[in-house]
Amino acid sequence: MQVRVRTFARLREAIGGDLMLEVPEGATMSRLLAAVGETSEQAGEALFEENGDLRAYVILMHNGRRVRRAEAGTRPLADGDEVALFPPVAGG
Amino acid sequence: MLTDRELERYRRQIAFFGEEAQERLANARVVIVGAGGLGCPVALYLAAAGVGEVRLVDGDVVDLTNLNRQVLHGDRDVGRAKVESAAEKLRAQNPEITVVAIRATLDEENAALLVDGADLIVDATDNFAARYILNRVALGARVPLIHGAVRGFDGQATTIIPGRTACLECIFPVAPPGEDVIPVVGTTPGIIGLVQANEAIKYITGTGDLLADRLLVWDGRAATMTTLPVNRQKDCGACGIDRHSRR
Repeated sequence: MQVRVRTFARLREAIGGDLMLEVPEGATMSRLLAAVGETSEQAGEALFEENGDLRAYVILMHNGRRVRRAEAGTRPLADGDEVALFPPVAGG
Repeated sequence: MLTDRELERYRRQIAFFGEEAQERLANARVVIVGAGGLGCPVALYLAAAGVGEVRLVDGDVVDLTNLNRQVLHGDRDVGRAKVESAAEKLRAQNPEITVVAIRATLDEENAALLVDGADLIVDATDNFAARYILNRVALGARVPLIHGAVRGFDGQATTIIPGRTACLECIFPVAPPGEDVIPVVGTTPGIIGLVQANEAIKYITGTGDLLADRLLVWDGRAATMTTLPVNRQKDCGACGIDRHSRR
């Protein structure tokens, strides 16, 4: 199935734009995030800590709704879904 | 009551939202925390709009590296307190309003006092430690907080109405990592600062739809602005209804 990934700020720079990814039927948000991280070394570094955990400050959204980090491993995705990845900025 | 001079000065916006809205602006006290990249445009446009009291809080002095974006400060201001430099320009822009300059760095001890009496608080700080303090003070005082932040060509803004919308900790439970030097293209805080000033004017005058439960995201590279929905979190450590039951 295909899932659209919208990226913002530094993640957009690292990933290179929005993505349309093919993931197995019933894949979870975590599985999709891993697939995003596998698209390039830069993408992997931007999304994950060295120990493999998702960077805690990245905001995850699924079809316009916020997803908590703890839910990512169990949240199933469906064909045509949209996931947004937003890393907040801090300067002023 | 507005004076004849005020009626003339603000004629173009009174033509849009009326005298009563202008009087609300004249009676408003807005506290802007940070007189840097975001604080400069916010303060300038709120002063120009006729906000009755603009209180600026910042502990820093102007550095040469600030001048690409902190547009109230010029070459001759390097070394001066940012709030003094900014206040001088604001008073020149609009002598009809009161500008209060407070040279202080916001912390947990002084935050409540620094924002005391505010109708509205603008987050124009440059770090999340200060933002979280400001968020809690705003929630405690039940004063709306207009958040903005920038990096590079990217920016974000939202309006927090205590008790009604997602607060800063609902939206950003974990702060993005700090950086020694945050790269910023000057136009980015200009754009986000004006979004914040626009929110302030709308809130005070009761015009339009606020960025309540919406996070505005600006991508200056692509020249796109998007809003992402955000929600109050029941277990939010700052405003959640479940927070007292958490350890």
